[in-house]
Amino acid sequence: MVQLKNIRNFSIIAHIDHGKSTLADRLIQLCGMVTDREFQDQLLDNMEIERERGITIKSQTICLPYHAKDGQHYLLNLVDTPGHVDFSYEVSRALASCEGALLLVDAAQGVEAQTLANLYLAMEHDLEIIPVINKIDLPAADPEAIAAQITDDLGLEAEHIQKCSAKTGLGVDAILEAVVNYLPPPKGDPEAPLSALIFDAQYDSFRGTIISCRVFQGRVKAGDTILFLSNNATYRVEEVGFFRLHREPQPELAAGQVGYIIAGIKNISDTRAGDTITLKERPCATPLPGFKEAKQVVFSSIYPVSTDDYEALAAAIEKLTLNDAALTFQKDSSTALGFGFRCGFLGLLHLEVVQERLEREFDLSLILTVPSVNYHVTLNDGTNIEVDNPAYFPDPARIARIEEPFIKATIHMPERYMGGVMTLCMERRGVNTSYHYPLPGRLEFTCELPLAEVIYDFYDRLKSITQGYGSFDYEMLDYRESDLVKLDILVNGDKVDALSQLVHRSGARARGLAACERLKEEIPRQMFKIAIQAAIGGSIVARTNISALRKDVLAKCYGGDISRKRKLLEKQKAGKKRMKTVGNVEIPQSAFLAVLKSEQG
Amino acid sequence: MSVPPPDAITPESGEGPPGLYVHIPFCRSKCGYCAFTSYPCLPAPPADYLAACAQEASRIAASDWVQARQFATLFIGGGTPTIYAGEQLAGLIRELLARFAFVPDAEITVEANPNTVTREKLAQLRAAGVNRLSVGVQSFSDRLLSAIGRSHTQAEALAAIQAARAAGFENLNLDLIYGLPGQTLADLRESLTIAVDFSPEHLALYELMVEPGTPLAREVEEGRVTLPDDDAMAEMESKAQELLAGAGYQRYEIANFARPGCECRHNLNYWHNGSYVGLGAAAVSCLSGLRLKSVADPTRYAELVGKGEPPYVEAESLGLHARFRETVIMGLRLLEGVSLAELEARFGLTPRGYYGTTVERLVERGLLILNDDSMRLSEQALPVAHQVLAELV
Ligand SMILES: Nc1nc2c(ncn2[C@@H]2O[C@H](COP(=O)(O)OP(=O)(O)OP(=O)(O)O)[C@@H](O)[C@H]2O)c(=O)[nH]1
Ligand code: SF4
Ligand SMILES: [Mg+2]
Repeated sequence: MVQLKNIRNFSIIAHIDHGKSTLADRLIQLCGMVTDREFQDQLLDNMEIERERGITIKSQTICLPYHAKDGQHYLLNLVDTPGHVDFSYEVSRALASCEGALLLVDAAQGVEAQTLANLYLAMEHDLEIIPVINKIDLPAADPEAIAAQITDDLGLEAEHIQKCSAKTGLGVDAILEAVVNYLPPPKGDPEAPLSALIFDAQYDSFRGTIISCRVFQGRVKAGDTILFLSNNATYRVEEVGFFRLHREPQPELAAGQVGYIIAGIKNISDTRAGDTITLKERPCATPLPGFKEAKQVVFSSIYPVSTDDYEALAAAIEKLTLNDAALTFQKDSSTALGFGFRCGFLGLLHLEVVQERLEREFDLSLILTVPSVNYHVTLNDGTNIEVDNPAYFPDPARIARIEEPFIKATIHMPERYMGGVMTLCMERRGVNTSYHYPLPGRLEFTCELPLAEVIYDFYDRLKSITQGYGSFDYEMLDYRESDLVKLDILVNGDKVDALSQLVHRSGARARGLAACERLKEEIPRQMFKIAIQAAIGGSIVARTNISALRKDVLAKCYGGDISRKRKLLEKQKAGKKRMKTVGNVEIPQSAFLAVLKSEQG
Repeated sequence: MSVPPPDAITPESGEGPPGLYVHIPFCRSKCGYCAFTSYPCLPAPPADYLAACAQEASRIAASDWVQARQFATLFIGGGTPTIYAGEQLAGLIRELLARFAFVPDAEITVEANPNTVTREKLAQLRAAGVNRLSVGVQSFSDRLLSAIGRSHTQAEALAAIQAARAAGFENLNLDLIYGLPGQTLADLRESLTIAVDFSPEHLALYELMVEPGTPLAREVEEGRVTLPDDDAMAEMESKAQELLAGAGYQRYEIANFARPGCECRHNLNYWHNGSYVGLGAAAVSCLSGLRLKSVADPTRYAELVGKGEPPYVEAESLGLHARFRETVIMGLRLLEGVSLAELEARFGLTPRGYYGTTVERLVERGLLILNDDSMRLSEQALPVAHQVLAELV
């Protein structure tokens, strides 16, 4: 068995795209963990969406055997984490399983918002930090300037800074040595009562919940009866092991180690990230500290396209929350869409990822309603309520005061895009703008914006205005008084509740018009004329029509190939099934989110 | 693949006499919009292909299923059947007429393309028993013909029609297409007027379909070609119908017009979802509900037939309900619609009973007309038939 002094648990943290997953690849290869045949770039990004988008979404642990220059054998638990701000909850949970972290900084980009944010997270967990300047192979790399940023701005010590190119492998072996020599080994007593922290979980239809945990005290093996401290549920352990490229069973997990536990857990709600596992026979005295609750900022309702799929959606969401502890949900219903769930997300990317994972991993076809932020509403009688769903927006006559969340947006860009970005922020009700030059020609622009104004296409618009050179980050600021109205959409005279949105009064008419135009593009022509209207209270503020479809092509059936002809029609019919019928009108899935996109989007 | 021998098939009740189809998958060149099974072959098409068709014919003709039936129609389609020499084609036709039992007044059609026919060749076909000729004119405008990559000209089309009449064909069909790139209503009117001047007994007027994977599809996607929009298409369809009705042609199927009594019996059998035997590459047979499709590659087809193996690559035998639905969607292409008594006799089902509210809704919306005897598409539904049929498929 490996001794504690020969174990190192560490995360790789950084701003998005600074090269964490690529460095993980190199470390995995150096430790001889994969054959060339098995290898592919960003090996740990194994979800389909991660590979498509080229970003990490889930933290991923891998246990590497390392033979160090001191002649000793080490067990390294490496956690690759996501860099995008929407997934910082993944980072904070991963850090709870570690004693140290590699803080990557891109040698050309330098320190950015999430470099700082993740550094603070690591410091909260009392981790030792090794700064690593990555991408030194880039022509624009300026390792000396970046090293100065690391010491001066981040206050980290110069002596431990590593410089590498994760791409070429240059300097990577020195990093492994630094991990062994500089990061502390875990503490803990294998003979004490078991206390292990659940930091992640995943549902497997054959084996039940697979728990990712860090053992802090004691040991656990197959045959033990474990106890979850939060709900007193008990299970018999079937298997424990390490995360290699695949799960690898081990005789036991002992203090200091990171691994998985399988215990035939079929009741999904029993497992909660942050809970402490102990042994029933010999429980530990106190639970481990656990995690702070994630704070959801964007809300949207999820409905199955086919109302028959409601039960399947309910089961899918529950399973997904095991693997995505930042997602919240509660039952919701809509006249237009039937039963569904109101869900809370950490941001828009998180929302998109949840939608895609539900559709792909659980084979569902879904409709998401217009995302909303959480508003604070004070009623005339003095009661305070929170509203994140337009359906529950109170009668305006009863409202004394509404507050909406503001963010501080930080935008980095080349100076030449300043004008366009400034205009965009003004359009979105931005206030208190300021800017400075961190580097010559490069501008850091900050602005206070209502969160509601950035949750849909702000980032897309920013990207197009800056031709892809703009980067955007935000932090929550506070709640401020606002003048909101509820904008309703009527299709052929029927109000479609799932298309309602809360908007600032000043922009309501323009929003209404934009929503009508978008719907006109999204809803296919049908055999009758369709009127689309936007209304506030009872009055129509915008309208447009979709003219009736006058003609379509009917394939000829040549030489009796009737099957082919029938299949064409069946395809058309299947397409109709993916639409939601409201009144007589068939509305495609995509229309429900499209209403929020502006006309330029 | 292994399929049940035709003999093992139980006949469907109420089924009419079958048709016989032969597919000739060769053309002079490939048109830009074409998604049919057809391969360009110049200077001459392979002679052994016809031999393979004849060989398959003799195998099928010996089956009990065929032996028990008289065929009402023979249709040689393509591709371009007339790419073969008159004697070659006439030989195949004689052979088929000898091997299969036909009703006394059987309809025997050959498809022809303008620049592959002479009066002599057509006379040879006529002499072999062919009594209906279908000419692929598509348009009488050289500009539009070249826009879709047809290899013939207006002059060649005119000559072909004259040759057909001179060779003694009294039942003539002209194929036309509308919705061509750059085509205007005036263009269509002109083509129709020229066509009607020849007094053909039958006219097929198809709309151009952009089939994925064709050169036309690429051109449209890249914006190098623009097609008339659907409002223009609707306009063309209704004006064409008016013009043809005025000239004495009755629209009896969405894309087919005929002088009374001159409807194409071979195609009517498809629209009634009847039985037929298909010979040749990519041909489809439908034997009392069992559908078989042959391999598309003519060389492979000839090989398989040569070895005495069945040339099929797909087989499908639909259940009663699926066959009922299919019969409904095929039948609704006909303006007279589907006969409720016939559906009841063949499947024991009625549209109202089977489709319930789906049919009621279409009736309410004025798209379907349902009375005691039949169900058909309304005038208003014809241009958007695809949408309506998709609800019933
Ligand atoms: N030139 C160069 N490119 C690198 C280097 N390291 C990573 N990259 C590239 O940078 C991009 C992002 O790399 P990733 O490893 O996916 O970055 P990440 O930090 O894991 O990104 P997220 O997980 O999305 O936060 C990829 O295109 C890599 O090929 C390096 O050392 N040099
Ligand atoms: S003539 Fe007909 S079958 Fe031949 S290539 Fe042209 S469209 Fe296709
Ligand atoms: Mg990554």
